[in-house]
Amino acid sequence: MSNWERLVWNQREILIKGLLVTIEVCLIAFAFAIVGGLILCLVRMYVRPLRPLAIALIEFFRATPIFVQLMWVAYVWPELFGWPNTFFTAGWLALGLQSSGYLAETFRAGIEAVPAGHREAGYSVGMSPFQVFRRIVLPETLLTVAPSIVNQFTVIVKSSTLISVITVPDLMLQALKLVHVWFEPIEILTATAAAYILFVFLVSAAGKALADFHRRRFGLAAA
Amino acid sequence: MSDALLEAINPAMFWEYRLVLMRGLAFNAYVFFSSASVALAVGLMAALLRVNRAWPFRWIGTLHVELFRNAPDYIMIVWVHFVLPLLLGKLLGQRIEWPPFVSAVVALGFVYSGYFAETFRAGIQSIPLGHLDAGRACGMSERQILWRIVLPQVVRRMLPEATNQFVSLFKATTIVSLIAVPDLMYQVSMVIQTEMRPLPLYTSAALTYFAVIYVVAGTLRLLSERWRNKIYA
Amino acid sequence: MVEVPAIRVVELRKSFGTLDVLRGVSFDVHRGNVVSMIGASGSGKSTLLRCINRLETPSAGEVYIDGEPMGARVGANGQSSARPLVEINRMRRDLGMVFQQFNLWPHMTVLGNVIEAPIRVRGMSRKDARALGEECLAQVHLSEKSSEYPARLSGGQQQRVAIARALAMRPKAMLFDEPTSSLDPELTDEVLSVMRELAGRGMTMIVVTHEMGFARDASDRVMFLHNGQIEEEGPPEQIFGAPRSERCRQFLSKYRQ
Ligand SMILES: Nc1ncnc2c1ncn2[C@@H]1O[C@H](COP(=O)(O)OP(=O)(O)O)[C@@H](O)[C@H]1O
Ligand SMILES: [Mg+2]
Repeated sequence: MSNWERLVWNQREILIKGLLVTIEVCLIAFAFAIVGGLILCLVRMYVRPLRPLAIALIEFFRATPIFVQLMWVAYVWPELFGWPNTFFTAGWLALGLQSSGYLAETFRAGIEAVPAGHREAGYSVGMSPFQVFRRIVLPETLLTVAPSIVNQFTVIVKSSTLISVITVPDLMLQALKLVHVWFEPIEILTATAAAYILFVFLVSAAGKALADFHRRRFGLAAA
Repeated sequence: MSDALLEAINPAMFWEYRLVLMRGLAFNAYVFFSSASVALAVGLMAALLRVNRAWPFRWIGTLHVELFRNAPDYIMIVWVHFVLPLLLGKLLGQRIEWPPFVSAVVALGFVYSGYFAETFRAGIQSIPLGHLDAGRACGMSERQILWRIVLPQVVRRMLPEATNQFVSLFKATTIVSLIAVPDLMYQVSMVIQTEMRPLPLYTSAALTYFAVIYVVAGTLRLLSERWRNKIYA
Repeated sequence: MVEVPAIRVVELRKSFGTLDVLRGVSFDVHRGNVVSMIGASGSGKSTLLRCINRLETPSAGEVYIDGEPMGARVGANGQSSARPLVEINRMRRDLGMVFQQFNLWPHMTVLGNVIEAPIRVRGMSRKDARALGEECLAQVHLSEKSSEYPARLSGGQQQRVAIARALAMRPKAMLFDEPTSSLDPELTDEVLSVMRELAGRGMTMIVVTHEMGFARDASDRVMFLHNGQIEEEGPPEQIFGAPRSERCRQFLSKYRQ
């Protein structure tokens, strides 16, 4: 198996560099999506005048294919808004925007799944609406949706392969570059595919374990 | 910037590029229907393996699901297009090639078969065993029970989730442009290369996809919910 | 000549792994008779019914329907061999079964549920099946619901549809497995009265039930099952008036109001 050694093992530094970029982009996009999704969800549910705007954004992010959104953010936004000014930023921004649309809906489902009785129990002991939201609704929602949030991270990782198209040097791009140098795609692409599958598998296994844990510990069904 | 904004939302651009947009969209639909057929057929087989009594079958079914559900579709397309022909060629001792369209359909079909398999399985397992007993007690054969009692219920139960997966699959068809399948995104990027006007072109592509997906998905969801609610009130 | 019983159960045994659920059960049910089966939960009542129409395969023993063995067929040379599933399916049609959980098929209308088997299994024309289906629905007083979906009916109505579904196969006998146990008290009566009407029309029935009122005044015989065996059996007056077995007496005392 000298091919594997020559094409994969000896190139490990390049590939690992790419993997680190992938992880970095995904984590930034993930954090952005959680915050953005929560804001979109809260605006949609509780800020009457801005509700249509929030719904429009959520639906647009969700219904537009990630690849199209990525190209749009990378090539149109700079002309429109003068930002983002690097492809790296465009990459995590596009990934984060799409996921924020999905997470907004996840959060909403979670909030709506909190039984009315839990809220009323809070009011009945004299909590204010804000306290009820902050101390009861939000924690309960985060527990029920935590597995879905983890699942959304796997979506981000899978979609992140596309940022190679706008030349962000992630694992996918490094692998494709190596293919162009050596003209021997078998080992490089197989190893890269395996790395992605393994990574996504581990993350989603963690999500499942979390869901099981929550079910056992709190009797919560995943939203 | 306001000029740019105006240009971005100018409806005339849809008209200007209507041929490109329509032709591309038709090709997306073509890729979608082809890969959805593959995904449904392979997914049903994997699901039947996963509910099988014998563990080797269950194990193969699980491997299939975990492998394809966790794979990014882009790398699968690239792999099927550049690696699979080489591997098969080595195996058969001759040069093998196929058009990018085939790679796209095979890759997307298999990736989404992983998702569909899980949906099918959940549908199958959600049917109370008593419904099968009731069929047997009436003297129905196992095949009649499968076709008349199990599958119709499976289809209805999995419909909402399957709708979501069809939508995802349709969205995934946009990346086939990356191996030069002439879909909407491909057509658009070709025009951009000659005309150097990414702003109106990408914007109209995004809005076209959005409109199509939003309307079609919304209608499908509404219909499937209605159909289901009539039965599971 | 002695009459052949509609259902004859001989030394029926059934175990799941190491658990012996039925430990040698024998009895006859004559044509037009109603037999009520009572006993604690877990005593094997459901298993007994399911073995009779072979939803479960008995570990030993045999069931005869009108003198014909369910599990084996006797060839011309007098040798018996296992009955293939196709034939078991054919014989099953003669035994209607009604389940505790109704088990109506939710994707078919009420009439669709009733005529499914006549069409698919008996090969009846759609038109004849519809006529038959309407007739069976009339017998359970649900003619006006024939085009509803099951989910829109109350539990009592659903169970009556299930009875109509069994009737549509024109069975020689009917098996009821706790038909009212998942119904609210106010809904049990409509189901029980349909069953009484059936009995009045001469249907042969085995009824597993916890409705002691029904067992007492609608059945010809009552059997008390305990631990996979018939602990006591006899006419209702004897079982409810002067049970001989201590266990039976204890069991019944829980049902005295
Ligand atoms: N398919 C099965 N596999 C294993 N055990 C079973 C099965 N069906 C029934 N049993 C066991 O057989 C016993 C009798 O069950 P059942 O006939 O349902 O009792 P009853 O209807 O009198 O309540 C119970 O202990 C039950 O757990
Ligand atoms: Mg029972």
